[in-house]
Amino acid sequence: MRLEIYQIVVPIISAIFIWGLASRFRRSRASMQEVVVGSLFWLAVAVFALFPDFFSRKIARLFGIKSNINAIIFFCLGLIFFFQYKLFFMIKKQQMALTNLTRKIALEQQPDKEVEA
Amino acid sequence: MIPAKDIAVMIPAYNEGPMIGEVVTHVRTCGYKNIIVVDDGSRDNTRKQALDAGARVISHPINRGAGAASQTGLHYARQQGFPYVIQLDADGQHHPEDMETLIAKMAEGRWDIVIGSRFIQMSEGIPQRRIAYNRVSNLLTNWFCRGSYSDSQSGFRMLNRRAIEKLNLGLDGFGYCSEMIVVGERIGLSIGEAAIKVSYTEYSMSKGQDLHMGITTAVNLIWKLIFHQTH
Repeated sequence: MRLEIYQIVVPIISAIFIWGLASRFRRSRASMQEVVVGSLFWLAVAVFALFPDFFSRKIARLFGIKSNINAIIFFCLGLIFFFQYKLFFMIKKQQMALTNLTRKIALEQQPDKEVEA
Repeated sequence: MIPAKDIAVMIPAYNEGPMIGEVVTHVRTCGYKNIIVVDDGSRDNTRKQALDAGARVISHPINRGAGAASQTGLHYARQQGFPYVIQLDADGQHHPEDMETLIAKMAEGRWDIVIGSRFIQMSEGIPQRRIAYNRVSNLLTNWFCRGSYSDSQSGFRMLNRRAIEKLNLGLDGFGYCSEMIVVGERIGLSIGEAAIKVSYTEYSMSKGQDLHMGITTAVNLIWKLIFHQTH
């Protein structure tokens, strides 16, 4: 099997991203969900790059894609979905941090009072 | 029986200036002095009204939602060492006299959380829209639960020390009502229900959730329960 340059570069880039995700997980900077979804995405990219013809034919048959334009549209929809998931996850984390901060400030400003009998 | 001094009555409030003073006063006349209002970043005079009526007020500097306010109240109760917390709504729909019903149920010693249910003995005057919304919410909540609950969205609840210590909720919005039940079950808390009455007024109907908020609440709850650790 003769490999094109992109078939070597893309899997290497995917591997770097997966390694980065695992590294973030080890340092408790990413959740298991992020690692699993992110790794699946980059694994799919790597496999697609290694066997482009096989997957192109399979995907084209599955989705009824008849031209390259269709393929690009489907690919972009996939990307949008992935980034939507990432954004939603990031926003949730930010909101949680904001709530915790708000709570901390509220509780620190509250002077302890004697419980009334 | 559980003495009133062991109970913190916690009232999350957002822009409840017109009603909060009356609610706090009503609770005080029922004999409960430990009243904590969690002012969730209100833009009106909620804080002043609650203070004037004799409540302690914890103020969120910005609005974070009913769930966030409720969790702040539980944090405070935990810090202060209250053995029990009763939570009720700030819009006046709940009858503070019904706290006795929740306390009697809690005193049985079998429950860590007692939910005040509007639907065990169907309270009169509940709008059909609210009934329909609650049925959908119950279906969703009960789907994640072992038990079956008749009023998963009730904001009238009593928690014992074990529940106060163990519950750690993450939803900021109204989804916390369901989250408390689902998470409570998962961490081994026993949850019971007691019949309460409610009075819906034009004011209380203007509060609560609309369709958009209801859908957002459901999405957030499903997201939380499926993708996140719940304790």
